[in-house]
Amino acid sequence: MGFANNLVEGLDPRSKIISFLSIILCMVLTPITRLKDFGLYFLLILAIAFIAKITPRQILKRMFVLIPFILFIAIFIPFIKEGNVYWSIKIGYWQLRVTYEGVWTFLNLIIKSVLSIILLVIASATTTFPDFLQGMEMLRTPRLLVILMSFMYRYIFVLLDEAKRLMRARALRYFGSRYSEQFRIIGYMIGILFIRTFERAKRIYSAMIIRGFTGEIRSIKRFQFSYIDFLFITGIIISLLFIVSGIVYKLEHMKINNAHLWQAL
Amino acid sequence: MASIIKVSNLNYRYPDGTVGLKDVSFEAEEGETLVIIGANGTGKSTLFMNLTGILEGDGHINIAGLTLNKIQVKEIRRKVGMVFQNPDDQLFCPTVMDDVSFGPLNLGWDNNEVMAASQKALALVDMEGYESRTSYHLSFGEKKRAAIATVLSMDPKILLFDEPTSGLDPRSTSKFINILYTLKSQGKTILIVTHDIFLAQGIADKVLVFSEEKRPVAIGSYKEILSNYGLLLKNNLVHQHHHGQIVYEHEHRRGYIHERL
Ligand SMILES: Nc1ncnc2c1ncn2[C@@H]1O[C@H](COP(=O)(O)OP(=O)(O)OP(=O)(O)O)[C@@H](O)[C@H]1O
Ligand SMILES: [Mg+2]
Repeated sequence: MGFANNLVEGLDPRSKIISFLSIILCMVLTPITRLKDFGLYFLLILAIAFIAKITPRQILKRMFVLIPFILFIAIFIPFIKEGNVYWSIKIGYWQLRVTYEGVWTFLNLIIKSVLSIILLVIASATTTFPDFLQGMEMLRTPRLLVILMSFMYRYIFVLLDEAKRLMRARALRYFGSRYSEQFRIIGYMIGILFIRTFERAKRIYSAMIIRGFTGEIRSIKRFQFSYIDFLFITGIIISLLFIVSGIVYKLEHMKINNAHLWQAL
Repeated sequence: MASIIKVSNLNYRYPDGTVGLKDVSFEAEEGETLVIIGANGTGKSTLFMNLTGILEGDGHINIAGLTLNKIQVKEIRRKVGMVFQNPDDQLFCPTVMDDVSFGPLNLGWDNNEVMAASQKALALVDMEGYESRTSYHLSFGEKKRAAIATVLSMDPKILLFDEPTSGLDPRSTSKFINILYTLKSQGKTILIVTHDIFLAQGIADKVLVFSEEKRPVAIGSYKEILSNYGLLLKNNLVHQHHHGQIVYEHEHRRGYIHERL
């Protein structure tokens, strides 16, 4: 679309879905022991962030919301995983052991998820959710899934608002009571929320059939592949091929060899 | 002129036993604007649901020469557009444009026709530039206008509006009245449910009064109905103040709007 601020924003959502998914797939399949490869992935992702005009600040800000969850899960792995002991400490009766295998698994999880999260941040900053949905639909994602996601996106806030209103109504008339009483009231509120959601779903369905809905969601095709999309995807695929095949290292060797050659000359 | 809507002896009872409509009969002629007034819970919304076949009551409904039944209901829905009381029920797509184009796309129009009709509808309600906005983040009045556009884009012969101006500010209300005049001049048949009896002024060819018995008790011109204080008072459409004078709801507000029109 013409009014995009930068190249990545203006891409067809399909190109972004395809290329970002391929990057993530390649990363997941790369063994963690090839640490250098991940450096290259990181460079590739940085390059994309650069052309998407996303500042490191933006990435960090959003990343730090998610990182604690991953850390929390991953932090215990080095201690739990069985294997060759790398480091151990004795505290009273407790014997803490960190194993090589554990450390690798930890790195595997952290590095791959952090890189994937950065990609997701870039994707979400350059694509609106409706555009993403249409991209998914045009890539022949099962229609039901797309419709479900679009309804979720549309009504999750409405539902949250409704819950908030119920809580507020309760808070205004709540002056402290026994725990059993409070649980009963929370039960009521969940029930009411469920009924309201159900009623709303019925009304929405009515609104859909009145406007001729017969089970098939149609939409205006807003996107078209342009040569820029083609260039972007090819660029990503070629970079991935470079990384996966290890050609980069061979180039490095060639250079060194050349240097030797030069010296020899 | 021929009757484009003909309802006879329509009864509707909700599954929980509540009476929604009781022996409703009325007719509307082609190109006519019918304003339906009535207190809360008198069955006005239920009537609209029945006219579009969402609820199925007992009785006979004929719309544009077609009898409302399981087979013809689809054909009827091509001719009837309805705007719900609550815009959150009407706007279910991710963006405003998706919502406005939903109907035309289902009518099987091609991309260009759909785009043109949607743009035109958005322009009519003064919502150009809102195409890619998320409907959830619109203000109530904007939602209401977008909801109206979702029906205008389908260009139906018959339009049902359920409380289209509730929650709108005076400027949006007078804008809506202008839209009504445009639609009227295009020969559309329009049914409007409203609590704002003064909305009917100037635009209503007929006013239909619903009573607590869940059925119409009077039909007549705006003048006839409004001059019948007894009728209005009995049906809770005006209220008597303690100082004993009859006060029309919103009278002052309406006066203000008509000055500006
Ligand atoms: N889903 C439902 N289940 C049971 N009863 C209902 C349901 N919806 C409406 N009713 C009842 O049917 C009657 C008519 O309701 P309806 O919504 O048609 O009134 P209305 O004239 O549109 O009122 P308002 O001016 O408040 O919108 C009311 O008594 C109402 O309580
Ligand atoms: Mg109603």
